[in-house]
Amino acid sequence: MLVTNRPENPVVRRAARVLALLPAILVTFAASTAFAEPPETWEDTPSTSVLHVLLVLFLIPLGLFLLICLLVYLPSMSRGRQDHHSDEAWRGEAEWFGGPSGGLTAVDKAEQPSAIGSGDRDAGRGGASGRW
Amino acid sequence: MAQVAAGDVFSASQRHEIDRAIRRAEELCRIEFSVFVGRSEGETRPFAERLHSTLTAPDRSVLILVDPATRLLEVVTGAQARVALDDRQVELAVLSMKTDFAAGDLVGGITRGVQQLAEHAQRPQMRHGT
Repeated sequence: MLVTNRPENPVVRRAARVLALLPAILVTFAASTAFAEPPETWEDTPSTSVLHVLLVLFLIPLGLFLLICLLVYLPSMSRGRQDHHSDEAWRGEAEWFGGPSGGLTAVDKAEQPSAIGSGDRDAGRGGASGRW
Repeated sequence: MAQVAAGDVFSASQRHEIDRAIRRAEELCRIEFSVFVGRSEGETRPFAERLHSTLTAPDRSVLILVDPATRLLEVVTGAQARVALDDRQVELAVLSMKTDFAAGDLVGGITRGVQQLAEHAQRPQMRHGT
């Protein structure tokens, strides 16, 4: 025995379907534009030019957008310039702060045979290294 | 304090900033600081040690070598300086400097690193169980 919930009569089924859709159709087509007159005490709005609309809706927001972007990126841009400046450090001449008066020449002199025997004196050195 | 081999790499204000940081650090902990920024000749550690040995008083000096070309950083502490500034404290300063260098702030990394080293050296060492 087959059990089904469909009504036996197709006419009744179609009528039920139409009835179900009817309120939605009525509400959709019955709705119309709401008309409201502005109060008479209000002044007539002057007509705005296309240029004015473009200015207010597009140019001013765009200008603000660019200004905010500039303010956001300005610090990193200026730091980028500094980075470039410090990049020159390894392309340019070495700098030694607090070094001997002879600079790297003093290092070369220290490599002479007379200075080789200084290894034991520096045995207690320490420190650390790193890479970034 | 002698400043040598001053090219046009750093601006005058940046150079002044590094000099001032070194001076402050030396006043703070009575250890001499020296900062070398440039290419290391050969391996970094031996080169840094060579630079360190040419300082006026290597035993109580700290040399910081920054090689931006190879992105290497080396800190050498003299025997006496090491008493006030152990290797673990130097490692902390190195870590801090690496962070600044990685962010592209060479001068800031140097000045803050020198300051941090001096502050560590200034603090009395806590020795437990002795």
